Amino acid sequence: MKKQQQPFGTDAEQNAAALKALLPAEDVLVYTFCTADGTPCTAVYTDGITDKELLGDLAARPLAAAAAPRTREEAKQRLLFPETKDANDCAAAAEEVLAGNPALFIGGIAGAIVLGTKKISVRAVAEPQTAITVKGPREGFIEDIKTNMGLVRRRIKSPALRLDGCRAGKYSGTDIRVVYLEGIADRKTVQQIKDRIAAVQIDGVPDSSYIARFLAEKPYSLFKQTGTTEKPDIFCAKLLEGRIGVLVDGSPIALTLPYLLVEDFQSAQDYFVSPYRATLSRLLRLLAVLLSLYLPAFYVAAQLFKLQLLPFALLLTVSGGIQGIPLSPSLELFFLLAVLEILIEASVRMPKYVALALSVIGALVLGDTAVKAGLVSSPAIIIVAMSGIAAYTVPDLTGTLSVMRLAFVVVAGSIGTYGILLLTAFLLYYLLTSDGYGAPLLAPFSPLVRRDLKDSLLKADLFALDRRPAVLRSKNKTRLKAAKREEQRHG
Amino acid sequence: MKKLLTWALLVAAGALVLLFFSNDFGLIDIQKTAIVAAIGIDASAEQEGQWSVTAQIAVPDSGAGKASNVTIPAAETVGAGIAEVNRKTGWYPTLVHCRLILLGEEVAKEDVFEVLGYFLRSEYVEDSCLVAVCAGTAQETLGAASPVGELTALAITKVLSSEAQKTGLVCVTNLQNFAKGYYSRAKSGYLPLLSLKKEAEGEGASGGGSSGGEQGGGQSGEKKTADVFDASETVLFYKGKRAAVLSPAETLAFNLAVTATDFAFGEVQAEENGAPATYSLKMKVTKKARSLSLKEDTPVLTFHIRANAQVADTSGASALDAVARKAIVPEPVLRAAERELEKQLTAVLEKAAESGCDLFGMKQALLRSRPQDYDALAPTLLQTARAVYDIRFGTLH
Amino acid sequence: MDKLKLRQICFLFAAVLPAAKLLIYPSTLSYYAKNDLLLSAALNFLLEGAVIALVMLLAQKTRGTFFSLLQNTFGQAAARAVYLLLALFLLASAVLPMLEQKNFVTQVLYENVPSVLSFIPFFAVCAFACTKGLKALGRIADIALPVFAVSVAVLLLLAAPHADLGALQPPGAAGARGIFTGTLFSLPWYTECLFPLLLLGHFDHERGAAWKVLLSFAAGAGAVLLFLALFYGIFAELTILTQYPLAHIAKYTTVFTTLGRADFLFIFAVALVCIFCLCIPLQLCVHCVREAFPSVPPAAPAVAVSAVLLILSVLLNYSFNAVQTLCMRYAFPAYLLFAYALPALSLLLHKTPPQAKARQNGRRRKKNSEAAALRQARRREKRRSKELL
Repeated sequence: MKKQQQPFGTDAEQNAAALKALLPAEDVLVYTFCTADGTPCTAVYTDGITDKELLGDLAARPLAAAAAPRTREEAKQRLLFPETKDANDCAAAAEEVLAGNPALFIGGIAGAIVLGTKKISVRAVAEPQTAITVKGPREGFIEDIKTNMGLVRRRIKSPALRLDGCRAGKYSGTDIRVVYLEGIADRKTVQQIKDRIAAVQIDGVPDSSYIARFLAEKPYSLFKQTGTTEKPDIFCAKLLEGRIGVLVDGSPIALTLPYLLVEDFQSAQDYFVSPYRATLSRLLRLLAVLLSLYLPAFYVAAQLFKLQLLPFALLLTVSGGIQGIPLSPSLELFFLLAVLEILIEASVRMPKYVALALSVIGALVLGDTAVKAGLVSSPAIIIVAMSGIAAYTVPDLTGTLSVMRLAFVVVAGSIGTYGILLLTAFLLYYLLTSDGYGAPLLAPFSPLVRRDLKDSLLKADLFALDRRPAVLRSKNKTRLKAAKREEQRHG
Repeated sequence: MKKLLTWALLVAAGALVLLFFSNDFGLIDIQKTAIVAAIGIDASAEQEGQWSVTAQIAVPDSGAGKASNVTIPAAETVGAGIAEVNRKTGWYPTLVHCRLILLGEEVAKEDVFEVLGYFLRSEYVEDSCLVAVCAGTAQETLGAASPVGELTALAITKVLSSEAQKTGLVCVTNLQNFAKGYYSRAKSGYLPLLSLKKEAEGEGASGGGSSGGEQGGGQSGEKKTADVFDASETVLFYKGKRAAVLSPAETLAFNLAVTATDFAFGEVQAEENGAPATYSLKMKVTKKARSLSLKEDTPVLTFHIRANAQVADTSGASALDAVARKAIVPEPVLRAAERELEKQLTAVLEKAAESGCDLFGMKQALLRSRPQDYDALAPTLLQTARAVYDIRFGTLH
Repeated sequence: MDKLKLRQICFLFAAVLPAAKLLIYPSTLSYYAKNDLLLSAALNFLLEGAVIALVMLLAQKTRGTFFSLLQNTFGQAAARAVYLLLALFLLASAVLPMLEQKNFVTQVLYENVPSVLSFIPFFAVCAFACTKGLKALGRIADIALPVFAVSVAVLLLLAAPHADLGALQPPGAAGARGIFTGTLFSLPWYTECLFPLLLLGHFDHERGAAWKVLLSFAAGAGAVLLFLALFYGIFAELTILTQYPLAHIAKYTTVFTTLGRADFLFIFAVALVCIFCLCIPLQLCVHCVREAFPSVPPAAPAVAVSAVLLILSVLLNYSFNAVQTLCMRYAFPAYLLFAYALPALSLLLHKTPPQAKARQNGRRRKKNSEAAALRQARRREKRRSKELL
């Protein structure tokens, strides 16, 4: 048997020494005190993540005030802790100490009592930057998994809500919770997810995106394979639809599975405004995505291969604009797209106090002055700007759209208009056959699921969304029972 | 297998990027492309039996267009002439935006499809482009200055637009319709006759300057007088050759009876208080149809036309209540308008019969309705057909 | 097993497969049938519809695949041979549409003659599609239907005002010879009646399946016939000059507007559907190879089929007319045999294997004899009771 798995003895100091030998780091401290009858007690804790005040008040004080307890149960009754656990060997105790829960050894009692005095500094619950809503809740997940679990619990007060725990990361020991509603989520999918997480063999899990890669059916795909959200209201709504959620300690981004591409076109606000407005917004997002992808490519293809695409007056304007430009249309656009990506990258990383100055440089120098200098043409700048802005109507797809846009421009500049069609066909074939956890990525469009179209690019009224999405294969299909209108009217 | 696929993808991506950055493989950059807005064809003055081809190139100038005309004075075929444009200017002419084909007066005397065949064969010229015959030479017409300072070709297409067709001023046709008529059994067709009138004075008039075979530049701001285009006459064609010309009144009558005109202005002579007066009428055609029937072995072409009229103006001063009641046209004026329309249509029919041009599609109608009688009646159909008019002009009451 | 839905098969007939008939088929047909092109095409559709109806009848009677039916009747070796022949036929029948599409692309989507490289990436897409199986074939139909329906509807709406449908008169002007020649020589464009046979056993049969499929087929046929009517109404005598009417039919409305050739958006959309349409026989070709030899991974036949077509497209780059003449005038017996006779005759195949059939017969005989014995016993009892009474 390994040394760390040998059971603890009854000597508190020896036990503490054994545990300290396993945790030699200087921030792991040993606090020694005695009971009223002189029995030594030790507490091993990690400085910085343990509430020492709580340890002193609720553990050391009651023990020091009376004679040593004879059994662990007696000790637990004397301690004023709502949350205690037993640890019988060094390995179990070490895991808890590193998590912020001190191990208390009492002379004469074999084993350790683990006290729940974790105190980690976390930021406040605030609105996430990537999902701002005008109407609706503004809470967002934070890095602490317990807080996140609380945010979910607050919204779903049902015994059916499960938060099954797992761990991943050889060195990080990251706490992961698989969240689902018993009786609604598909059991097979839940088990599949748990098995995949259990099979993760990695040193550390700094963020949920690592887990997302392991959960993906096609990990090398350019397209997302898991849904992501930073908002508990969206997370809970997805659970109620029949999806399974994954919370990862240390990451504010929760994962949801199965994932459908149409999710990224839906926003939380769609459910809080009129369905007509919501439908218009979703269609606008789709149009924006298509614009972002195809506008630069068609612009290049039109100039190089098919002038007829441009109306005569516009053709003269474009042609006039590009007179004297040293780069070919495709290279010009490629260059501008690269500049756009550099600007976006820099704006994310730059300190706030230089942001204003650099914005001016970006706008004036790279825009106006470049045109005046004859390096680039105005139509190209407009095209790239429109494409760049349009991509941000669907923030979750921005990265994918940036890459795809470049690919379309390269294809349009080399093969032409037919190249754009071929790449579209290729993408469609690829997406159509990308199923994740039994749910096709392009559902409910392909395969066509008529019932689910009510909440896809169109947003039907709340009363029409009485059934859960068929594609999620939930056994409990009804989520809304419409009250009889006569009763409602007459009370 | 997966490794092979990865390598294949990498090679394909590399090839694509090479294609992209090399930008070669016969691509013609927009900067090297000459956008031809119109083509004019004349009989070559230098070489008999050859053609003079004028290409009006739209030159972008800070967004607006200026025209630059390039004339090839002698080419064996139109295709050769257009290819010569490339050689002479160094620019590759693209005809995808060519909206106008202008045939010189001399060209129309022979089978125009000797020159129009190029455009029918070409995959890049849209057969929706307008075709017209011009008085004089196409080179001169395309070199005219437009009073509104735009491309001459654009100014001409405005004159030949569908809006102009709707008001009955012009008989507009495109290459496709003209070719359909030529290749049909009737072998007939019509084209508007464009003539140049130096009337208007305008600033910023821009047009093309050219001298045989060399690229001319736009001359903006120098010309004070501009040219206006008139296309109120129509040339009738039979077997591709010019056969007759319809006057403006005959053109209007033809438009009212046959084409897409549904709103026109026309003049009618009538009596007002015992004195002759000219009424300008606004006419809205509410129904037009024609039918071919056989009555005792004689083909009868019946015109059914219904229109509403309003008085737009009169030659003399009218009383106040007459001006106020402009929507009510006096009966004699309406009858005079009907008689005028009948008279003009008769004139058109006579010209068509004389020239052999089946302007009213009688042969086609005969073939569709009475195919069994076609062979017997078709050769003399135009000459033997009798016109019957069921024309009624109405007014508000 | 690769499965698709009946709805997807319906969408294939309604939206994907008609797309191939909008390229060069109209002008070719009008060359033979002239103004009777509608009659000629209608005959083709009726013939195809009849064969599809027979195949759907077969689908009602069996849940097995065509391969299993062949196996039951002739044995596995013969079934494999037939499937390999079918695969060859599907590959060969895709050559003409491929060349057609190549020419369409080079003429309509480009303004100067592009390099042959412009079309080569199609074969990569095709190979990729062929590896995805019947599931992709079915799902692409779900996407293609709204795209095709909207695009063709808009194009026809734009074309309608310029069409003189009187040009189709008088009916019968081309004569019976012209009409039947048009029908016969159009067979290369009418091979879809073979496809449901190959999809047999890969879709769940529903009530009214035959009617649904036939109605969808009729909808697709209606769209094509309407297109042909408008085509002839617009171009009349010029139909034989007008290649790829899809790119020209709507331009008379759009060309002088501010937006210019806005119809190109819809032409591109139909061109996208044409890509899917061209991949279908090749996907079925790969499917045939895999049904015959299930252990073969999908990538191998997919790459092989695409490579063969690529080579042919390069070799036959300047031989479109020759290929078309060969397929239309001389190869029509092959189309009749594989696309029409074979599906029709499949009704005669054994639905169950011979041993199973013998067991079934034995059980039936036993059941019949037991029933007969029971009836005899009942008659004896009745007689006895009468006697008693």
